[in-house]
Amino acid sequence: MESGHDRWGDAAGSYLLGALPEDEHAAYVAHLAGCAECREEVDELTPAIHALPTSVQPMAPPPALKARIMAEVEREASLLAAAGPEADRVAPPRRRRRWSLSLPRLAPVAAAAALLIAGAGIALGVTELGGEDGRTVVATVDQARAPGAAVELETSGRSATLVAHNLPAPPSGRVYQVWTKRPGEAAQPTSVLFTPNRDGAATASVPGSLDGVEQIMVTDEPSGGSTTPTRQPLVVADVS
Amino acid sequence: MQLLRRGQAPAFEVIYERHSSAAFSLAYRIVGTRNGAEDVSQEAFLNLWRSGARYERARGSVRTWVLGIVHHRAIDYLRRATVHDKRRASDEGIEERFEAAERTDVEVARRDEAQAVRTAMDTLPGEQCQVIELAYFGGFTHTEIAGMLETPVGTIKGRMRLGLKKMRDQLSDGAVMR
Repeated sequence: MESGHDRWGDAAGSYLLGALPEDEHAAYVAHLAGCAECREEVDELTPAIHALPTSVQPMAPPPALKARIMAEVEREASLLAAAGPEADRVAPPRRRRRWSLSLPRLAPVAAAAALLIAGAGIALGVTELGGEDGRTVVATVDQARAPGAAVELETSGRSATLVAHNLPAPPSGRVYQVWTKRPGEAAQPTSVLFTPNRDGAATASVPGSLDGVEQIMVTDEPSGGSTTPTRQPLVVADVS
Repeated sequence: MQLLRRGQAPAFEVIYERHSSAAFSLAYRIVGTRNGAEDVSQEAFLNLWRSGARYERARGSVRTWVLGIVHHRAIDYLRRATVHDKRRASDEGIEERFEAAERTDVEVARRDEAQAVRTAMDTLPGEQCQVIELAYFGGFTHTEIAGMLETPVGTIKGRMRLGLKKMRDQLSDGAVMR
């Protein structure tokens, strides 16, 4: 048994319940990668975690909730359909590209897409990259603070979503906060605060219009968020 | 799921119809307010719609996937809204709860599953059930729970592990294992 195993002997339950403090979580995930015994225990206990949500008392969601969700879904589906048969094809997961490299050669396509969707009142293109669904920007991640982390900004219609992999938990007592940055202006806070899940994965929707936004940034901030960044950005995605 | 991947709104609607009650119920159980549960559910389902291609069958059922997203979003909501102290004093009335109508065999099966899980939890020693609920539905870390209960962290972790193992053993021959 490896030397570090004893430290984690009882951690599987806490890990699966999401109860490991953030610093311990990252260390346990690293331990799991090399400890078959702990992985086996996690696998053994996972069905109990999957069963827990079914124990709650059933409640009816209000009809208005479905109406709101479906209105947005149908609006986005219409955009996909309007953009052509290739537009609803999800980009291959490993096919990443940098915005700065793709923009020049795709500018004519982008202009055509912008015209196409202008009637729907949508500001962001759907098919800039040869008919693919939306656009993907590979963000710059401070590898000194988040080694191995990868973050992409996916835009589709008017929505933009940050998708992170292998992102470490923020420092104890802090959360990640999303910011927008326009040229010549200070970074503006958004209401989006998040923490990655136990696998280091996270998705965060960027609220509001991206008109004029040149960068989307992520910093770690005190729980509850900040009005101005208190740390250097961990993630920066160039969007213009 | 293939249709969802292609951006088919009707396919998404089917998934919403199948899982929205469980999703909303879980969100409400965690955040404790109707508005909060709506926010969490909306955020989770739109996330699901936009990321349908990331569903991996090998990692569990669609239901498990949906509820996993809801749970994560709900805990995030708790942390950013700092409503830990408010949610149990919710002004929501129990009149919002309902027993799902037994319209289909699937719903009957789910009610049976829910009962089986509740029974399994009820048979756990109280201190094990308590720490599981505080962690999973309350979003508290084992360190926070240890402080609340004035109990060593190691004991809390042991209760969590043993409680989950007992649940797993009790449910192992049932339909809720996914």
